[in-house]
Parts: sequence; structure tokens; C-alpha cells
Amino acid sequence: MKERVELVASGFGGQGVVRLGQILGQAAVKQGLHVTMLKSHGTEMRGGYVRSQVVMSPKLIDSPICESPDYFIALSLAAYKRFRDTVPPSGVILYDPAFVDALDAGLACRQLAVPAKQLSVERFNRPILANTIILGALSRHLALLDKELLLESLLAIIPKFQAENRQAFQAGYDCVH
Amino acid sequence: MKRFLETGNFAVTEGAILAGCRFFAGYPITPATEIAESMSRRLPQVGGIYVQAEDECAAMHLCIGGALGGYKAMTATSGPGYILYADPYGWAIGCETPLVILNSGRVGPVSGITGAPGQGEFYLTRYPTQGGNFETICLAPNSAQEAMAMTVEAFYLSERFRTPVTVLADQLITDGFEDISVPGNEGEMKEMGFRIWPRQIHPGPLFYPATDEIDIPPVQLGHNTGALCSDWTPTEEGYDTEEVENHHRHAFRLIYKIRNHRDLISHRCQKSFLDDDPELIVVSFGTPSRVVNTAVAKARGRGQRIGSLRLINLWPFPDELFTRKAIYLVVELNWDGQLVREVQRAAPKDSAVHFLGTCGDLPTQADLEESFNKLLANQPLTRKGWTLEAW
Repeated sequence: MKERVELVASGFGGQGVVRLGQILGQAAVKQGLHVTMLKSHGTEMRGGYVRSQVVMSPKLIDSPICESPDYFIALSLAAYKRFRDTVPPSGVILYDPAFVDALDAGLACRQLAVPAKQLSVERFNRPILANTIILGALSRHLALLDKELLLESLLAIIPKFQAENRQAFQAGYDCVH
Repeated sequence: MKRFLETGNFAVTEGAILAGCRFFAGYPITPATEIAESMSRRLPQVGGIYVQAEDECAAMHLCIGGALGGYKAMTATSGPGYILYADPYGWAIGCETPLVILNSGRVGPVSGITGAPGQGEFYLTRYPTQGGNFETICLAPNSAQEAMAMTVEAFYLSERFRTPVTVLADQLITDGFEDISVPGNEGEMKEMGFRIWPRQIHPGPLFYPATDEIDIPPVQLGHNTGALCSDWTPTEEGYDTEEVENHHRHAFRLIYKIRNHRDLISHRCQKSFLDDDPELIVVSFGTPSRVVNTAVAKARGRGQRIGSLRLINLWPFPDELFTRKAIYLVVELNWDGQLVREVQRAAPKDSAVHFLGTCGDLPTQADLEESFNKLLANQPLTRKGWTLEAW
């Protein structure tokens, strides 16, 4: 197992950036890992800048900051521009093309489009499940965490709309390769 | 022992309840709002009282009332609220009222930035009120788990010394999530090193014991004791006085009950790579220390003789930790340099003391590595185009 896995998620307030980190962290704790998750945000409940930094490791975690994220989830163009250069060549960027519409082709890392907002509106008639779709897509690439445990954590933390969340999680899993 | 992914705010709340806190009054403020929130939920479950005050000043005055009524009491805030405690903090010190205050540092001055960490209240925790003639106690954890432990310890120290004790955390600790173990019984609490001091009510009539010796008697205020408590200098019986002699006795007691009993405080700190007389010692407290520890471990891997000293007990300041002659680099989450002044005072006179500040974001490992390299090569620290003044 890799000694330390770093994940950054960033976007606008209201997209579920913090919730996403919390679900990941909860799953990691269930797997017996140590976890830190820092959140930085503006004063607005919705619309402001938000970032979660998650570190997962079998060892005690010293620095909780993600200086070289293995995974970066970009949910706004501003977030993409701000953190894309921190992702190492071995890292992966998952972005929602509804928000990130200008890609930097010069990056060495993999960049995967997850049309989460579009899929959520198409299948569930509203954008609220986009976050779950992102999480499903991530679970395909995040070898560290067990897919079922991640889904279990999602359902424990968001008790509403369980059937739709299950479907959205799977839709996200299926939409990336 | 239960394991959770939870915030430092949760950890502080649970620590307080384990320590016997049954009264909380506060006013919500990011990044400590969730303490008020969870206290309002948790305290009624354990027979405690939660009060939402109209502002921070009222909140801490309410806590004093709660403490005098026999409860272990606590409040929590961030910098802009901590400054509003100035008046009741003085009351609590002067009236020797045990209280615990959590301050989660954000970016200042004034409201600054809410959702980002800062360390602008290092000196404010030493001088939280006017008038002088007192010592303070302050503990600074660097993780959610340690925030729980230091909250428990703060209650212990506040009861032993009959004084308000501040736990100085920051936004990353209280707002951030971490895996946290919560002890489920007394055995597990002992295992985790938690000390609990029971609330003792002394039935005697005297506010102070009739002795010149500075000791720390049990709390004499409380239920049915006919408590005398005022903001004026007290006589030994607790009545107001304008006599200088009484004032001297009072001030001497407030200062030396802490200074002369530092053994009870058990100066906690974390020392890494300090055994081989390192050339450079990096000093920090709170969350930045976690990045420092990582950077120092990496520097050791490169063969650089660097050590890390993380302070946990900030006040009374642990001068005894600064006996080595070395280059000191003090890393803080402020741009003005506060801890560095204290290190400069405490370090041997021929030591070079330098400062690396940042605020709102932790220093990066690249920042630290660059500073280490420069200091070991005897070069001045530079940052973002300007040369830092030499400390």
C-alpha cells in the first residue's frame, strides 16, 4: 500500500466539496487508515470558494496538506487553474466539464472528464446528485478504498435519496475508464 | 475506545464532557461554531446547561457565574470573540474562577478571514486582559486528537490553579476532520494520559486561607458557601478594599500560585531530532508544526543536522527548553512574528534567531526547505521579493 495518498477537491460552496471529503475519510477510517481532512472556505454558504484536502495513510499523518495530490477533483474553473500545477505526472485530475471548460493540454498527469452535472440533470432531473456521480467515478480510480465501503459511507452520511444515490454512484463508476 | 472521522470541534466537546464540563455559554463564530452546536446537543444529555449568550463578553461572564455556582464551565470562540473576553477574563483571573476557553485562531486582525488558520493571539493568551499582576496558562494542540486531550488537561489545570486556562487551537484543527479515538471509560482515559481534578467545594468562610504561603486551595466558592466575588481587590475575607497591602498580597498570589507550581503544569512539548546537537532548531506550535516535522524528517534524510521543537504549553513560557546554542528558526502563522520574540528572549544570547511567517495557509515544505538551506549556508532569508528583517 502506498504510504500516503493525497486528494484535493475544490469548487464552489454548495457543490458538496466538504461532504465528498468527509465520505472518503469515513470510508478510510472504516478501513483502519489514519485520515486528515482540511477544509478551507469563504464566508458564503453557497457560491464561495471551497477546498478539501484529504490525506489517507496507514501511518500517523504529520503534514495534513496536499502539496502533491494523487487525485484532484476540479469542480470549478478557478479551482482547476489554482491547483492543476500541483498534480504530479503520476496524479489524476477528475473534472466536471460543465464548470471546467478550458483544459490545460500541457499537463503531464491524466485528466478525466466526469460530466457529473449533465448526467445528474439527465437521469435525475436535478443537479444535486452530481457529487455522488463524481464519487462513483473516483472510486474506479482510487484503488486504496474499497468501492462498497465508500458507497456505505456515502449512504451513512447522506441518509436521504438512497436509491438515487446508489444509481448515481454506479453511473459515475461507469462513466470513466 | 470508539474511532470516528470527526472535526476538532467534536473532539473538544467530547473532551470537555469527559473532563466534567456541565456548563457552556458561547456565541457562535467560525471556526468554533460547531462547539456551541454540539454542546447545545450534548450537555442536556449529561445533565448540563447550555446557554447561547448575546455576545462573547456576556458568554464568559455567564461561565464565571456557572463556575461559581459549582459547575465546570467552558466557552469557545475565535480571535474576534477572544478579544471580547478581555473584561470577563480579568474577572475570572482576579476572582480565581476555574474556566476553560477554547480559541480557534483564524486570520486577523479583526474579522480577517474566517475559513483559514492564523496564529495572531500568541501574546493575547499571555495578556488577555488589562491591569497586569497575573500569570496565565495556555495549551496549544496540533491535532484534533490532541485538542481533546488538551481540553481535558485545561480543565485539570484550571481547577488546580483556580484560573481560566486557554486552549489555543487554529481553524485547521477545529474545522478539519481527522480520525479521533474517544475513550469510553475511566481506564481508557487513564491510558490516554487524561488527568481529572474533581470540583471541590470548600465550606470554609474565608476566600483565602489565612497563611502567607502561596498554595492552591480547593475552590471555596460555590453552593451555599456565601461566595464573595467582586472585581475589586479583595481582603482575605473577600471584601472589597483599597488597601495597597491587600493588593500586593492578592497580586503576589495570582502570579506565584502559577510560577511557583510549574511542576504541576508538566511542560509538554514534542522534540524531534534534538539529541545530536543540531545546528538548526525549528520552533513552532499548533498545525504548522506538522508540516515542520515532515520537512525536518526529510532534511535529516538529506543529511542536514536539523531538529524540531514543538511547544504545547505556551504559557508560562518554557524558557528551560532553550538552553542550546544553535540557529533557531521560528515558524508561525502570522506575518508579524510573536513566538519568535519569546524565543529570542529565552535562547542563549549568542544564538541567531530567525522567523518564517505565513498566514491563512500553512507553510509549504518547499518554503521550509529553502529556509533550512539558506540558514545552514549562513544566508539571509528572503521571501516574495523582500528581505526579512533579521531577528
